[in-house]
Amino acid sequence: MLTTTTALVSNFTLNKTQAAILILGLSIFKFFGVSFYFMELRTAHIFWKTSVVIFVVLLATILILMR
Amino acid sequence: MDTSTINTKNIAYPPGGILIWIIIFLELFTFGMALIAMVFYSKDEPEIFHQSKLLLNTTFGAVNTVFLLSSGFFMAKSVESFRDHNIKKTVLFLRWTLLGGFLFLVLKSVEYYFKIESGYTISYNTFFSFYWMLTLFHVVHVIVGIVILLSVYFGIKKQIVTTSIEDFEASAAFWHMCDLIWLLLFPVIYLIF
Repeated sequence: MLTTTTALVSNFTLNKTQAAILILGLSIFKFFGVSFYFMELRTAHIFWKTSVVIFVVLLATILILMR
Repeated sequence: MDTSTINTKNIAYPPGGILIWIIIFLELFTFGMALIAMVFYSKDEPEIFHQSKLLLNTTFGAVNTVFLLSSGFFMAKSVESFRDHNIKKTVLFLRWTLLGGFLFLVLKSVEYYFKIESGYTISYNTFFSFYWMLTLFHVVHVIVGIVILLSVYFGIKKQIVTTSIEDFEASAAFWHMCDLIWLLLFPVIYLIF
């Protein structure tokens, strides 16, 4: 569902920055879903959880700012 | 079959083991830097990047995302079944995981075939240089992941299962890493330009 939404957003959103934010935001959401639930990071030490969050947020921020 | 519980709350024992997580972070960092480089170079040729992005098949990319996410789901179920000492379910879910991986590779091959047929090779322009390098590098990881999962699969199917939960979780973590990398590649390469 999230994947379909991402694909649709990319086609229909007018402003390119808004589109980038929405698309990357949806991807971050999926990223956290995979890492915290599938990879069971929710049971891990706070260091690993924080590291993943910081990495993804930092990467997304840099990509959006560069757009 | 050793499924003794590991305390994953310990900083030295993240799910799958510390070594695999060091590898995961290194890979994520590498792909992250490459994606930043791609966006950086797009600033010089925004129109070319946009036109090139339109030549990609977003549907293929979205379907591949579904394949990998579904595969990741079955991988998680497989690990859960292994912990519950249910080998039958473990093997079943592992088969579905492998199927997702194979389907990803098949669709990727079809996509690559269309690109090569149309002349959109690695030297076509900067966008396609990044496209080919990033997606091929990811495909290599998926192939390695499949090889690892196949070795786990055949190990579990033996009369006496010698696979430990640590090895199984590490293999699963590597497979999920392929998923994580694709979740970064798909939006940047296929959607935002």
